Amino acid sequence: MSVPRESPILRVEELRKSFGGVAAVAGATFDVLPGSMTALIGPNGAGKTTAFDLISGFVRPDAGRVIFASRTIGGRAPEAIARHGLVRTFQLTRVFRAMTVRENLLVGSQRHPGERLLHGALRPLAARRHERAAARQADEILESFGLAAHCNELADNLSGGQRKLVELARVVMARPKLVLLDEPFAGVNPTLTKELLLHIKRLRDEGITVLFVEHDLDLVMGHADHVIVMASGSVLASGPPDLIRKDERVLEAYIGIETS
Amino acid sequence: MSLLFDLSALSSAPFWINVGLLAAIYGIFTAGLQLNVGFTGMYNFAQAGFMAVGAYAMAIVTISFHWSFWLALPVSALVSIGFALIVGIPTLRLRGDYFAIATIAFSETIRYAIQNGGSFTGGTQGLLGFNAAWQTVSSWMMSELSLPSDYFLVPLLIVGWLSFLIVLLLLTGLQRTPWGRVLRAIREDEDAARALGKRVFAYKLQSLALAAVLASASGWILALDLSYLSPDEFLPDNTFIAFTILLVGGLGSYTGVLIASIAMETLLEGTRTIGFSLSDTQLASLRFMIVGALLILIVVIRPQGLFGKRAEMKIRR
Repeated sequence: MSVPRESPILRVEELRKSFGGVAAVAGATFDVLPGSMTALIGPNGAGKTTAFDLISGFVRPDAGRVIFASRTIGGRAPEAIARHGLVRTFQLTRVFRAMTVRENLLVGSQRHPGERLLHGALRPLAARRHERAAARQADEILESFGLAAHCNELADNLSGGQRKLVELARVVMARPKLVLLDEPFAGVNPTLTKELLLHIKRLRDEGITVLFVEHDLDLVMGHADHVIVMASGSVLASGPPDLIRKDERVLEAYIGIETS
Repeated sequence: MSLLFDLSALSSAPFWINVGLLAAIYGIFTAGLQLNVGFTGMYNFAQAGFMAVGAYAMAIVTISFHWSFWLALPVSALVSIGFALIVGIPTLRLRGDYFAIATIAFSETIRYAIQNGGSFTGGTQGLLGFNAAWQTVSSWMMSELSLPSDYFLVPLLIVGWLSFLIVLLLLTGLQRTPWGRVLRAIREDEDAARALGKRVFAYKLQSLALAAVLASASGWILALDLSYLSPDEFLPDNTFIAFTILLVGGLGSYTGVLIASIAMETLLEGTRTIGFSLSDTQLASLRFMIVGALLILIVVIRPQGLFGKRAEMKIRR
């Protein structure tokens, strides 16, 4: 394991979760460095999605700690974790289907006074001001994602690829510190993969840390700054792509299985 | 030859006053349900229970505590909010279908509690004597409008419809706020909303509490319409009829609630004019057959309802 030079934005320590006797995550420990684009890889059943669920609060860990931006977040509610600036996406794209593309983004806006019933009623001006700023921000993001022409369309009417873009744009709208992307390139054609990759890299360049699950090793080795390899619920290896590529344990446990 | 339908009733003013009043009562009742079902994706089956809580709290505060009727209204609204929290806090974390079952159980628990509440709730005998303050206003309105005495429900009709329209305007406005937008996001995908930091549980509680207040408001008007309260008025049937109004009008549309509540009450009250000699229980069954047939018809011909949008009616997960 490489020794991190700076303090990590996300530290996962001895994380454990079993489902009916099967240990999905069995003492996983890893760090994610701020500003990095870190890939989480591993064979099917390695515990990657469960790790995401544990970190983002959708599943309560049996044991272990999750420290995000110097706060212990393990076991807290997903909405509380998101409010600290850790926003995730799901393996299957989850847009608000009967809402327009712009509305999808606006829901991503954080600390919106208009979203609070009493606040919105008692201080309508503050709510309106925030709404105007959020609308401007949403339009800018939609423009940069090439979705401006679809802004008033229902998300339900978009293609699968466009929905992926909307989901990512919605994450950008939330201005998180760290995003967890669960297989953002799954079932996506090569052109869209390139486009998504570009957007994700731009996130990183804007200072947002990215942790993503991916199966395509060429993509991971070519674009991630740092790679974490999971197998059977724990972390097998972690380091820059060049080191991981040569790691014998990884070749054996992961690539060996994949290529056989 | 006798006619099957005695249509003369349809041209009488008292018939339409009654229909209009019931449409306003069940319209307000259903508007709350629309907020829950159509805009938050919560299948609240406790609406009749909240209606009972509101009406009985108003009556008990007026009769037993001797408070002013006008003060009893906001107090009973607060009581219904309290009950919404009692029901909501333990059940809102349940999956949608379990929540539906839990709420219907609550609704019946309330009704049985009232039935067995002794002199406090009037039990099966019911409660009388809470409407003196309203009678004063009503008589004043009657004389101001110089209405004949068989139009005695017109003042309540006016108040009921004003309330209904205000409720619809407020709810429509509320739905356009960022708060309403979060509700729809929760309806669409609760987990995605949580992943974006939305406190789903708090929004659902607020939605339920607002629906409970609307249910109590409809309960007050029903109580004034009947001049007495009895637990039999708060059967879950009320909730089922409201769900029919909701589906006929269309999920996610307050205009739908407006039109469908008028249509439904016209239909339900219209069945009373059928010329057969039917007993009350037969008539009640007939009414439910009509409701059922209407539901099937809507689901087959226009599943999104009269004013609903197809994209909004998809049931997810």
